[in-house]
Amino acid sequence: MQWRQIHRWLGLWAGALAVAVGVSGLVLAFFPVRDAWQARPVPAGLTVAELAGRVADHVPGLEEIRRTPAGDVIAYSFDGNQARASRVDPADGRVLGDYQASGVERWVRNLHRSFFLDDPGRLGVAGLALAMLLLSVSGTLMLARRLGGWRRLAGRIRGTAAQRVHGVAGRVLVLVLALSSLTALYMSATTFGLVPADSDIDPDVVSAPGEQPDLAVEDLPLLRALSADGLRKLNFPAASDPEDTWAVAMDEAEGWIDRRSGHVLAWEPAPAARRIHDWIHALHTGQGLWAWALVLGLMGLSIPVFWISGFLVWRQGRGRIPRLADDSPARRAEVLIFVASEGGTTWGFAKALHDAFVRGGHAVHTAALEQFQVPGSARQVFVLAATYGDGQAPAHAARALERIASLPPGAVPVTVLGFGDRQFPAFCGYAEALEHTLRERGWPRTLPLECIHQQSAQQFDRWGAALSQALGETLALDYVPRIPATVALELAGREDYAGGASGPTAVLRFRWSDPGPLGRLLGRGMPRFEAGDLVGIVPPDSPVPRYYSLASGRRDGFLEICVRRMPGGACSGFLHGLKPGDRIQAFIKPNPGFTLDGARRPVALIGAGTGVAPLAGFIRDNARKIPMFLYFGARNPAEDFYFGEAIRGWLADGRLSGLKTAFSRVPGGGGYVQDALRRDAERLRALVSGGAALRVCGSRPMAAGVAEALDEILRPIGLDVHRLRAGGRYAEDVF
Amino acid sequence: MKTASIAALLAATTLAIPALAQSRTVTLSTTLQNYGGDGAYLAVYLTDAQGAYAGTLWVAGGKAKYYKHLPDWQRLSAGDAARLDGVTGASVGEGRTLTVTAELADALFDAGYEVRVDAAVEDMRDSPSEIRVPLTTAGAGQKTAGRQFIQSFSYEIR
Repeated sequence: MQWRQIHRWLGLWAGALAVAVGVSGLVLAFFPVRDAWQARPVPAGLTVAELAGRVADHVPGLEEIRRTPAGDVIAYSFDGNQARASRVDPADGRVLGDYQASGVERWVRNLHRSFFLDDPGRLGVAGLALAMLLLSVSGTLMLARRLGGWRRLAGRIRGTAAQRVHGVAGRVLVLVLALSSLTALYMSATTFGLVPADSDIDPDVVSAPGEQPDLAVEDLPLLRALSADGLRKLNFPAASDPEDTWAVAMDEAEGWIDRRSGHVLAWEPAPAARRIHDWIHALHTGQGLWAWALVLGLMGLSIPVFWISGFLVWRQGRGRIPRLADDSPARRAEVLIFVASEGGTTWGFAKALHDAFVRGGHAVHTAALEQFQVPGSARQVFVLAATYGDGQAPAHAARALERIASLPPGAVPVTVLGFGDRQFPAFCGYAEALEHTLRERGWPRTLPLECIHQQSAQQFDRWGAALSQALGETLALDYVPRIPATVALELAGREDYAGGASGPTAVLRFRWSDPGPLGRLLGRGMPRFEAGDLVGIVPPDSPVPRYYSLASGRRDGFLEICVRRMPGGACSGFLHGLKPGDRIQAFIKPNPGFTLDGARRPVALIGAGTGVAPLAGFIRDNARKIPMFLYFGARNPAEDFYFGEAIRGWLADGRLSGLKTAFSRVPGGGGYVQDALRRDAERLRALVSGGAALRVCGSRPMAAGVAEALDEILRPIGLDVHRLRAGGRYAEDVF
Repeated sequence: MKTASIAALLAATTLAIPALAQSRTVTLSTTLQNYGGDGAYLAVYLTDAQGAYAGTLWVAGGKAKYYKHLPDWQRLSAGDAARLDGVTGASVGEGRTLTVTAELADALFDAGYEVRVDAAVEDMRDSPSEIRVPLTTAGAGQKTAGRQFIQSFSYEIR
């Protein structure tokens, strides 16, 4: 079952209409809260007879008394020629003022339940309720799958901001949303008469004729026995009709009383249909349950949040994942390709493999790795897995490995192709873990694990040739590197550092031009980015983009990176050759695990060399002055103290709370950044105990040294890097 | 004032007359007040000289679950299985006029029969028998005011 497809299309289309239902629901939730706030509840121990007597004393021509769900008492009277409705104080029967149902409430309610379109609108809204129910179910299934099973449903949700918002909101509100959808469907069913909401007819009772006068309301035995706080409605007998009776409706029963004798003519407990209806009505509207109304209002508000975040998730995914022609349903596919990709580049390779098999006349299904399955029709299964950071799975496939490990092995070969970068020790670490698990479980394979370095097209071609040979059929892999849409950046300024033995370094500041309001609306402008995200730059003579950590956010109005000139480096050489006014093409690659999530907890930033760049960006954007502490390792303050002047400024204006430096090539400079950490162990322990987040940026050996030092430092408080990382508090950006 | 015109040719059994007998065409107009609520449910019906139910002329509003809020009509017409046959339509918005046309036997006029109108609006007080006027030839064209939802009621005989 393709829950994903259902969720996506239902969410996009039905969700857009449901936004109106949600926002109107939010407005409607306000009324029960207001009513509860204003209500004058009946005093404890007051009987219906006493209440009616008091009200009758103050309201001439009284015909009916109602208690609203919030507990207010309303008196309906006919005085002279004027029908009146008055709020009365149940404590003394005094009239508080005219009662008029809110026109705004009525207008919003009609929008909420029928879009002002009467029955066709009600049917449409019922359809939306059904859609919301399906979205709740499919969304929960998808979240469980993404997090690795039902028991992990409470786990941390990784991914872009839109994905996190969508998932967290879903987790919090899906039950309320499903409940509201169900109650809405029930209410539609009662409106259209499919489900009874009440008994159809009242008992046929009349007051016995006679000469004696009517009993006063205070003298009616039944009303003297009933407590006013269970009253819903009391109808006085009409003066013009001698056969008319008293009619009293309580929460749990209704009664009719002879006007002259006071005898109870009928006493009927509320039928089950009405009790159910009342209960469901209260659950849906929050009437009489103001705290629940607040929850319902929050849920109403969540629908636009769901829709907007869901729309963004869809758009981000659409931008990343190429369109696959001739994608067969999984249950009929011979070849299945599963992809784990953080930034989306691996999808380009998957598409090439997909298209090659389609051209070969096979039914092919390509999907994200968390949907791993091997249907009966399958002949070959491929897993294309990129490795994220330090051997981690990409966020969307976070639990896929465990899922695969839990499946019974089949006879269909499953071949793993890894993607990564050799400069990381955990090069293809995730693909290796997948390969290991699959073999251990006993799945056969067509080819052994191959790891593609830096998206090398040549290496991919060689793998394709080996695959062709193994399968005995020609597969032409036609891989075109997918570069996301780029924007033009113009060098606005540069600050050069000698950099010492490691080579010259420059902090480059770029600006972009505004595409105008229309261009912005069409998404042609500079996309949003935060300090810690990456910018991809394609040098003129290489198809492969290089990535640099951003030292600024879009709000800063410029894009800043710190580039060390690598010996023979195509991209760093190109960048170092830029003069102010020169232009480059670039795109933004989100780095969701590393950027700060906006929580108000303190942050310890640990960087060395050019690795200080994203950390400087964090500090620069710390307008809220969250406690931030920077540990910065360099060689020589005269050569490579990047952002040094700015950092001192931030220290002065409070954006940075503390700075510890270590200069390794200066006598008495303090060694490496690890040494600075050890010297400040006491404060680090306090910070981590207080919930601080940690961000580490620098070379691979530096990050390993930092992790080792931190493990030592944190041991006394029973914590380590591994655990902090699992809790989402520790992230590295290494190169 | 807006006017919505609903015409119905009454062919119900209780009021229908043998083809030979004399009958008259009666047009009943019910104009609603601007009472500040959703569309009103209205039941227009006849009672005889003893106050017993004689037939339903029109019911505005199609959802049976709300008929409980037209209590006099609901109670009196309970025995009439065909009370809704061909005589239902949409609820009537505030300020609008419901016009019902019926063929009524001569024998019903000046014989103690009454035209009654029950009215109900969501979340407002039920208004049974808001209109109660004798069906007489002399009463044609006379306006009667209701007390809660109905601005005026009158009938014309042709």
